Amino acid sequence: MSGGITGTHGNDFGLMSVREISAGVAAGRYSASEITRMCVERIKSTDGETGAFLTVCEETAIAQAKAVDEKIRSGKKPGKLAGVPVAVKDNICTDGIRTTCASRMLEDYIPPYNATVVEKLISEDAVIIGKTNMDEFAMGSSTENSAFKITRNPRDTDRVPGGSSGGSAAAVAAGMVPAALGSDTGGSIRQPAAFCGIVGLKPTYGLVSRYGLIAFGSSLDQVGPMTKTVEDCALMLEVIQGMDVRDSTSHRGKYPQDYAGRLGEGIRDFRIAVLKEFFTDGLDGEIASAVRDSARRLEGLGAAVDEVSLPAAGDGLAAYYIISSAEASSNLARYDGIRYGHRPKEFADVDELMEKARSEGFGTEVKRRIMLGTYALSSGYYDAYYKRAQKYRKLLRSQLAGVFEKYDLILGPTSPVLPFRIGERIGDPLSMYLADVYTIIVNLAGLPAISVPCGSSRDGLPIGLQLIGPHFGETVILQAAYALEQELKLEP
Amino acid sequence: MKISKEDVVYIAKLAKLRFSEDEIEKLTGEFESILDYFRSIDRMDLENVDPDEFADRRETVSRADENVIFGDREKLFRNAGSMRGTFIQVPRILD
Repeated sequence: MSGGITGTHGNDFGLMSVREISAGVAAGRYSASEITRMCVERIKSTDGETGAFLTVCEETAIAQAKAVDEKIRSGKKPGKLAGVPVAVKDNICTDGIRTTCASRMLEDYIPPYNATVVEKLISEDAVIIGKTNMDEFAMGSSTENSAFKITRNPRDTDRVPGGSSGGSAAAVAAGMVPAALGSDTGGSIRQPAAFCGIVGLKPTYGLVSRYGLIAFGSSLDQVGPMTKTVEDCALMLEVIQGMDVRDSTSHRGKYPQDYAGRLGEGIRDFRIAVLKEFFTDGLDGEIASAVRDSARRLEGLGAAVDEVSLPAAGDGLAAYYIISSAEASSNLARYDGIRYGHRPKEFADVDELMEKARSEGFGTEVKRRIMLGTYALSSGYYDAYYKRAQKYRKLLRSQLAGVFEKYDLILGPTSPVLPFRIGERIGDPLSMYLADVYTIIVNLAGLPAISVPCGSSRDGLPIGLQLIGPHFGETVILQAAYALEQELKLEP
Repeated sequence: MKISKEDVVYIAKLAKLRFSEDEIEKLTGEFESILDYFRSIDRMDLENVDPDEFADRRETVSRADENVIFGDREKLFRNAGSMRGTFIQVPRILD
């Protein structure tokens, strides 16, 4: 990250937060157009090395910014994200802007509508600056499965940014945008946030609309914010959450409000559970000590921290990959080369059209997951795999509910490993899957969780800590993350 | 867990995917190690767990089945591989 701090970040766009930009634009200190220009310049000078973006929509972004400036000039009340440039993961539909899922299958796909989250951002006067790289169809933990390009970790360009929302994480970490949207099916927001040293939140299942999010595992997927600070994360969540009739899994009850306004309430008397099962052999020693140190710091701030055992927590990976692959094989059956998506040049009949479209359009990992999912759902294996995985899921949910009867939140590492080198794991799918071991239980149980930076390794690689809350416990995990952020005061 | 090449070919057919000989060879090996790992859920005691994932949740939501007109037809069909008039064209499926 570039230095050069002047005042409260002055005009150094790379360091400006969502809060600073929206307040500055609303107060007329700078225009949305100026901010957008700075953002585009920053991307042009930085992204050659990082490779975070698949599409930069300069023209539409400038038009959106002008509209925001016009609105403010005419005396109307500016939105909560006035002039804030936001990068959007390329599996979230943007009207008129190519949305590829980093797949050859959707290389030319131009959605005819906006995802609900994108509509919400625009209605609060944010500016959609571009679409970010990812593992194809969000399947992967390093962003190396993109059909189009490699994204490098801005903290060490020989290393991966994590995945699957690696482009969004890298764009934020490199100061190209103050905020981005990611999606999280098994850790795809939290793990890249940890790898790049930023904040990433996976909301409670149902809190944020999935309408317009290209489906991977529908019972697990959730859209969430990725930002430099916890406060920005809270502000973004306030904007993107809410009931949506177009998503039948959208939460129908009350939504907590004013996450940002309540951040400073402190964590005195918070009861925090540290899961024993997260501190096993596979965990990197430097990550373990950074996370344990943070737990002590929270204790120092008045929280009560206990070590707790949750036997099911260590065994989730198999169940996660069975359920997510099964759902993926079903969701991705829609790609038949007819209504949209890759279409082969030559085919004799409709079967050949479909087989060729899918075989040419999907990459290796996507095909592998479709195959695994098809196998797990096929006759003779359904009971052995899918049904057992669903039973495990139920058991996990009830064990977690038991923990939340006594505790406000669960603390642990986000990832068992530090950011690994590009190419290091891509040849061994199982070793890549193991990178998700601490994050997947959150998706299986539909809980909210945040990854927040908690230190660096000796080599300067970021370390992330995960705080998991009960359903709709975003207020609490944001408060705890904020307390830790203020306590640690890590340099970006 | 023994997986044969024939198993992989059969699953590929169900999934409407085509693979080369080399790819099938490679997938067979990968499948075996991944499915071995998946078998770790056999060690768990899940005997008394009701598999109905949704039994403890609120009821299913449904909305009124009402038509909504998507005004811009051109936009709606611009991603279709091949059109004839207002229809999406597909290969003949009946002789």
